[in-house]
Order: sequence, then C-alpha cells, then structure tokens
Amino acid sequence: MRAQFRSRIRLVLAGIVLVTLLILIRLYFVQIVQGADYAQKADRQFASGSSGLFDRGSIYFTDKNGTIISAATLATGFLVAINPQTLVNPEAAYAAIAGLASTTIPHDAFIAAATKKNQVYVEVAHHVPDAAGKAIAALDIPGVQVLQERWRYYPGGSLASQSIGIVAYGLGTTLAGQTGLEAEYDDTLDRSGNSLYKNFFAELFSNVGNLLVNAKDAREGNVVTTIEPEVEMRLMHDLAAVNTQYSSKESGGIIMDPATGAIYAIASYPTYDPNNMQNVNPSLLGNPLVEQVHEFGSIMKPLTMASGLDAGVITPETTFNDPGCILVNKARICDWDFKPKGVIPMKEIILQSLNVGASFIADQLGQDKFRSYFTKFFGDKTGIDLPSEGHALLSNLSKPQQVGYDTASFGQGVAVTPIQMIRALAALANGGVMVQPHLASAIRLDSGIVRTLNYSTTTQVFSALAAHETTQMMTEMVDEKLQGGRAMIPTMSVAAKTGTAQLTNGQGGYYTDRWFHSFVGFFPSYNPRFIILLYTNDPQHVMYASETLDTTFLDLVHFLIDYYQVPPDRGFATSTPSR
Amino acid sequence: MVGVLVVTYIGLIAVVMSYAALTVEFSQSVKNDEASVAMLEGQYLASVADIQNSDYRAAGYTTPVRQVFVPTESMTALRY
Repeated sequence: MRAQFRSRIRLVLAGIVLVTLLILIRLYFVQIVQGADYAQKADRQFASGSSGLFDRGSIYFTDKNGTIISAATLATGFLVAINPQTLVNPEAAYAAIAGLASTTIPHDAFIAAATKKNQVYVEVAHHVPDAAGKAIAALDIPGVQVLQERWRYYPGGSLASQSIGIVAYGLGTTLAGQTGLEAEYDDTLDRSGNSLYKNFFAELFSNVGNLLVNAKDAREGNVVTTIEPEVEMRLMHDLAAVNTQYSSKESGGIIMDPATGAIYAIASYPTYDPNNMQNVNPSLLGNPLVEQVHEFGSIMKPLTMASGLDAGVITPETTFNDPGCILVNKARICDWDFKPKGVIPMKEIILQSLNVGASFIADQLGQDKFRSYFTKFFGDKTGIDLPSEGHALLSNLSKPQQVGYDTASFGQGVAVTPIQMIRALAALANGGVMVQPHLASAIRLDSGIVRTLNYSTTTQVFSALAAHETTQMMTEMVDEKLQGGRAMIPTMSVAAKTGTAQLTNGQGGYYTDRWFHSFVGFFPSYNPRFIILLYTNDPQHVMYASETLDTTFLDLVHFLIDYYQVPPDRGFATSTPSR
Repeated sequence: MVGVLVVTYIGLIAVVMSYAALTVEFSQSVKNDEASVAMLEGQYLASVADIQNSDYRAAGYTTPVRQVFVPTESMTALRY
C-alpha cells in the first residue's frame, strides 16, 4: 500500500517537474529568443490603446436623383510613431518612412525627436494610406510603430466647406464639430463614448437599462443635407471666376427651392479645403452667407414694391413724377442716372431701378407700415440650421427721419444677411409666404430609422397678388432690359433684379467709388423651382451689378434648366408627343 | 448538476466572447469599407469638378447656335 502510494507521489512529482520544465522552456523562448518581438508588440498595444480610434457620424449631399454622397465621413489608414529609446538608426528609419508616407514631419524634426531618449512614443507621420502603412510595418524597423488611425475626411474637399464645417479640438480634449453642420448637429454625429475596445462585460452589466431603451439609438445618426453636389460645384466655380475677374474682396451665392427653403447650393469665395487645414485663414472658417450683414442695394426694391402693393397704397397702374433727384431731411436721393423721367408707372421702378421711385413707395406706405413690413422680412433670424447666424441692422427704421426709410426702400442704410435676403425675396416666388431655409433634410439614425426634419413653419408676409404683380415686373426686366433684352429665354420666364450698393466707409458715410453688387432671380417666374442670390463685394473697375453678375446668373439658370430638365413654361408646345 | 452548470457557464462565456470579437471585427470591416467608398466618392466628385471646369471650346467645340427643349415620354410605362 505504502509502495503504491510512493509510486503515485513520484508520478505526480514527475508530472510537476515536466510541466515546470515546459514552462521554463516556454519562458526561455518568450523572454530570450522572441523577447524583442513581444516587447515591440506590447509597446504597440499600449500606444494603440491610449490613442483610440476616432469615430463620428457622416454628413451627406443629396444629388438630384436622391442618391446620397458623403460630404463628411471617416478615412482609415495608419499613423507612424517612433520609440526613441529603441530606435537604432534614425536616418535609415526616416528614409524608409519618408519614401512610403506622403506626409511626414521634416527631417530635422524627426532626428530631433529621435534624440529624445527619455520618451517612448513620438508620432512622426499621420494619415498614411493603407498600402503604405502596411509596407512600413512589413519593414519591421526596430523602434518604429505603425498604428491604425481614423480621421475626418471630406470627399468634396472645399465643396460647401463653410457650411459643412470642421471637426477640431475645442476647449475639451475630444474632437468635436466646431463650425457649420459639424457643430450644429454635433450631438447627432458625436460617437465619443463608443469605443470598440470597451470592456464588454462591464458594459453588459453596468448599462442594463440601455439593453431595453437605448438613448444613443435615438440620438446618434448621420445627417442628410439638401445640398446638390453638382449644383454646389457649379456655383462655386462661377463665384470663383467672378471674384478673380473683378478682384473682389469676396463673392457669395445661394440657390434655394423657394417653396420649401431647401438649399441646393450655398457657397462663398474665398474658401478653404477642410482636408488640409494648414495655413487656413481663421476668418474663412465661418459662413459669411449666414453670419455677415451687407447693404444689398436695389434687390430690396421688389420687396418695397410688394409691400406697397400689399398695403394697397399703390397699384401697378399708379403713376408718379420722377424728377431724377429729391431732397429728404437735407439728404439728396437720386436715380442712378440723375435724370428726370417725368410721370411714369410703378413697373419702371423695377425696370429702370429707380431710387426716387422706391422712395415714393416708402412715402406712400408711411413709417409705421414700412417698419412693420421690413421687420417681418428681417426682424428675426431665419432659423437656418447653421451656427452663429447674424442679426439684421435695422436701426434706421427706429428713427423718425424719413430719409432712413427712403434709403431702406432701395437697400441702403439697412444691412441684412444673405440668407435673410434670399428668404424674404423667396416670398415673391412663393405666393407671399416666407419659408425656413435649411440644409439638413433628414437624420438617418444608426438604429435604421430615418427621421425627416420638419420645416413647415411659414410666414405670410404679403399677398399672393402682390407677389404675382411684382414678379411680372421682374420678369419684364429680364425680357426687356437685362443685357439689352438678349438675356431673354424664349422658352422660360425668368424674374430677376440687380442691385448696386455703395459701400460704407466706416465713418457714417459711403464711398463714391466702391460698390457691393447683388443679383437675385427665380424661374420659372410663375411656378418657381429655383431662386438664386448672388453678390460680389468691392469688385474693381466696374460699377454696376448688371455688368459683373448677369453672366454668372444666366449661366446658372441655363445650367439648372439643363441639369434638372426644367420643362419650358412659355413659347413651346408642351403636349407629349404621340407614339 | 454542478458539472452541467459549469459547462453551460463556460459555453456562455465562449459565446459572448465570440460575439464581442465578431462585433468588433465587423464594425472595423464596415468602417474600412466606408472609408474605401469615401475615397471613391472623392474621386467621383473630383471627376465631376474636372468635367465642369473643362472648357469645351479649348477642345475644339463651339457654342451651340441654339438649344431646343425636347419633350420625351415618361420613363414610367403609362398606358394610353
């Protein structure tokens, strides 16, 4: 019995010795033979865990067929880091990395980093493409780590960049939307709490409530915009051309559906490429079409006209005597040509862009009614889904001097944002109803639900009849006056108005030789699908907006007709051909 | 009985771990595919910009003398 017990003890002992030997051999291989490799792997795991992988929802353009195309999404690749303590040959390592990665730190900075022997982790190259990253990893250079990285990527580059916005570090330590839609919909796009490397068990047991009702599912999603990429591209291209040709300070434009407020394109020049933020002027990061105010000049006259018609103080048949210049509160208000026109009907105010005529309507309205209409147009922000929307400057309409009302009637002395201007003018194209301009049409939640955004709040600012009568005058302006009548499209009615405003000199007066040009138009005139607002600020060696922006406007009109196949609304048999 | 519970527990852990690993793997895969699509979208938008910015006159074409709207039948199969 004892001998049997001893043999069993020896057997167990032999087993323990065998296992111990196996462990020792394994330890020898792990620590001595493959020690360097494992140390490097551990180093990489540490670095990867500390940086984490960036995650964020997407923003989409929507093309004319309803297909969504990424405006802001994520790109994946690699970052390259070095461990100066284990990096043996910095020169060789730099040559290898620089040869494969398109962007890396300068040679001197790399060598300086490599000499910092008290550090174990210095990032030397970011946004390295997949293939290049794998190639660098395959080189297996001691002290060089290749880690997966994910970053914000804008496939369209500068396309609508000031409206899409950027992601950057703000006051906190996490990346967040700072401008544009990135900031406006940050709650929807943010994924900062969703690390893939979280403790699954901890999540399972600590967030039992989320298994039943997941608040994130109701919040996290992707933003679908109404911006049409090709229309946006065309607008950007045309604005850049105008700005360059006339050496303007800046130029901007908006193309919108006047019936819904859906913005197809919104752009200004100069702009920036959010994929390459180095050396970007910070003043370009905002959206001037929403944040900055301008005195728009004569494109205000159609609103004055519609107000007068709506109030019943004038009719299209009303006439007035235009002496060319008038004196109001000791200030001289003149038409563009300073010439008397005699007794003329209301439509000539739009056709000839007469300041004295607009002042006549303001006088007929009286200060209270005029203020009431303009406060309805511009008193409130539009509510567009972009941050930092600006306020209109209407203080002249709070003073008793009539000259402030007269100048406001032709767009001087009051300053409004471009988005406010197009919203008010769109009422002319929409039966007197002002809509809410917007960029986002829907939120595609990660749960799969598509939440359509509601912009049904509208404001009736004048009657449909007043809008129609004003539209007739604007259509006549295109058919008879624009480019001497050559701009008329036989198969498409187009309503438009030009505006040329003097720029303020910052001392309470105006420059006599510096201008702000604007242009508004919509088509088809009596069932509009598009309204276009353009401006160029301080163009050189040119006086009138009809010289700078008419070509751009007409190019956009023809492009939109072709691109959207807008059917003719006049001068064409519209019946469908028989088989 | 205890043995069955232990085996079930171990099995449950294995299933949950596998699920977690697959979730991470699939999420990564989806993100990588989305990034690939984004790169293609970037190329597409660059191509469209290139076409829009090209001057057809430089390629030997002239401005059309006139443009005519051609009404076409609806793409849907309407019955007459």
